[in-house]
Amino acid sequence: MIVAKNISKTFKSHSTEVKALVNVTAKVDKGEVVVVLGPSGSGKSTLIRCLNYLNVADEGSIVIDGIDILDPKTDINKVRAEVGMVFQSFNLFPHKTVLENVTLAPMVVRKNSKEEARKKGMALLEKVGILDKADVYPDQLSGGQQQRVAIARALAMEPKVMLFDEPTSALDPEMVGEVLDVMKNLAREGMTMVVVSHEMGFAREVADRVIFMDEGAVVEVGTPEHFFTNPTHERTKLFLSQIL
Amino acid sequence: MGSRSLLNRLKDRNYYYVWIGVFFLLLISIVLSIYYSALQIDYTWRWYRIPQYFAYQEQVEIKSEIDGEVESISKKGKEAVVRVKGLEGTESYAVPASALTVEEGDQIYYGDTLSSYKKWRVGILMQGLWLTLKVSIIAIVFGIFIGLFTGIARISSNPALKWSAITYIEMIRGSPLLVQIFIWYFVLGTLLNNLLANNGIAQIPPLWFGVAALACFTGAYVAEMVRAGIQSIHRGQTEAARSLGMTYVKSMQHIILPQALRRILPPLAGQFISLIKDSSLLGIIAIRELTKATREVVTTSLQPFELWFVCALLYLVLTFSLSMLLQHLERRQLVV
Repeated sequence: MIVAKNISKTFKSHSTEVKALVNVTAKVDKGEVVVVLGPSGSGKSTLIRCLNYLNVADEGSIVIDGIDILDPKTDINKVRAEVGMVFQSFNLFPHKTVLENVTLAPMVVRKNSKEEARKKGMALLEKVGILDKADVYPDQLSGGQQQRVAIARALAMEPKVMLFDEPTSALDPEMVGEVLDVMKNLAREGMTMVVVSHEMGFAREVADRVIFMDEGAVVEVGTPEHFFTNPTHERTKLFLSQIL
Repeated sequence: MGSRSLLNRLKDRNYYYVWIGVFFLLLISIVLSIYYSALQIDYTWRWYRIPQYFAYQEQVEIKSEIDGEVESISKKGKEAVVRVKGLEGTESYAVPASALTVEEGDQIYYGDTLSSYKKWRVGILMQGLWLTLKVSIIAIVFGIFIGLFTGIARISSNPALKWSAITYIEMIRGSPLLVQIFIWYFVLGTLLNNLLANNGIAQIPPLWFGVAALACFTGAYVAEMVRAGIQSIHRGQTEAARSLGMTYVKSMQHIILPQALRRILPPLAGQFISLIKDSSLLGIIAIRELTKATREVVTTSLQPFELWFVCALLYLVLTFSLSMLLQHLERRQLVV
């Protein structure tokens, strides 16, 4: 589904250069849930943003569902329509109601009729357990509710892959569970997912594979059992000892 | 304790009313001092002369253009048609039935009055007010469009767009509006109208050069507000919209601009109020808006004090209504 080969990304400002990704290669198969772990600044967010072309990789190739997204001839909007993204800070549209947030893209991008989009939107809001808030504005919702709406908004495009960029990092602890539950359900339904997260429990329970990154490079890739019980690399062991 | 705080509150409230009194005293004393000073220079206030510049009754007389006899008068409701038969032919005149001054069979001569009546006409100040309103509204509408596109071009990464926008904004903001109006009318207007005349096309009236000057002037300021508004919207909004597959244009249209415009509504209101007042400069290129109209009336009526006060008041009516309208919009959006 996703094949990223040897991608590198350097952020340049006036005086400094930050190598966010160095020669990263990663693969996500259809129906697989991949959790990307690593200390902050390790490049995991940059990696997931590169997959959606929000950051543009300097080198390497990224192929999503057979389409090379770094090819200048590719219509990135078409690719993005198939790739759902959930952000750390939700980024709901504050001037639209919850339902409008969910129905806007299907209407504008997919040209769905209003009725069609509405029906699908209501079904998705029910799925993420927030149907009763369909007509309120995002600022009246808790963080957990907002993030669930954001997930519904991404799902409304019926994406083939869902990318989650630290979806629970901005939430109050008691709201993390409700968002993770929605994500677990999604995984159970067979959605292909790439999740950047600090939620070790989620990784252990749901992930098919874990990618551990440090300083812009992939350090270790493996199943959750391998990763949490028997890691190969010293860096991974150190990381686990710090957080567990 | 309770009674003491009650006393305090009473005192506070009394103070409040005292200061309200001071305000009105101040107002009255300014009015009186102007009135008193005017008396000192023997100025005679003639407020009764003012209403005629808003609306007046015009005497209309319909006169026969031939010698002859009134052959027939046929009434149809409020209209009457007078047919006059002369040696060289017959003429008909349509007049109000109630204002007839001739009867069937009357002998009449060239220039005789067939009908005489009064008709309400719009006064010159009202005409000026209407023109000011019209010019301002057109300029505001165009100014919004110019500002919107220039504002977006201003933050484009394309140097042709970006630099054009910057040049336009800096040039407009860096020169007096009066000079710009002169350039629009005397330079661009002359060039354009000559070009049109050479090709046998009708001339553009000064009004449109005035509107263009005001619209371009306002557009530059609106552009900077639009730019600031767009940049004030968090980057995550664009990212969320684009990640859903929306194009740049769609994300601007549905996500960024609606939020940005909401934010810049208050400064926009101020800009549009300025524009209404700035339209008073258009009098210099022979557009008879409110200020020019007032000046003309002053030269004929010799009542400058009343007229300039009335003129200021009329501007206040326009600007205050606009400000109320935009405040209403703002409040409505806050609820929604």
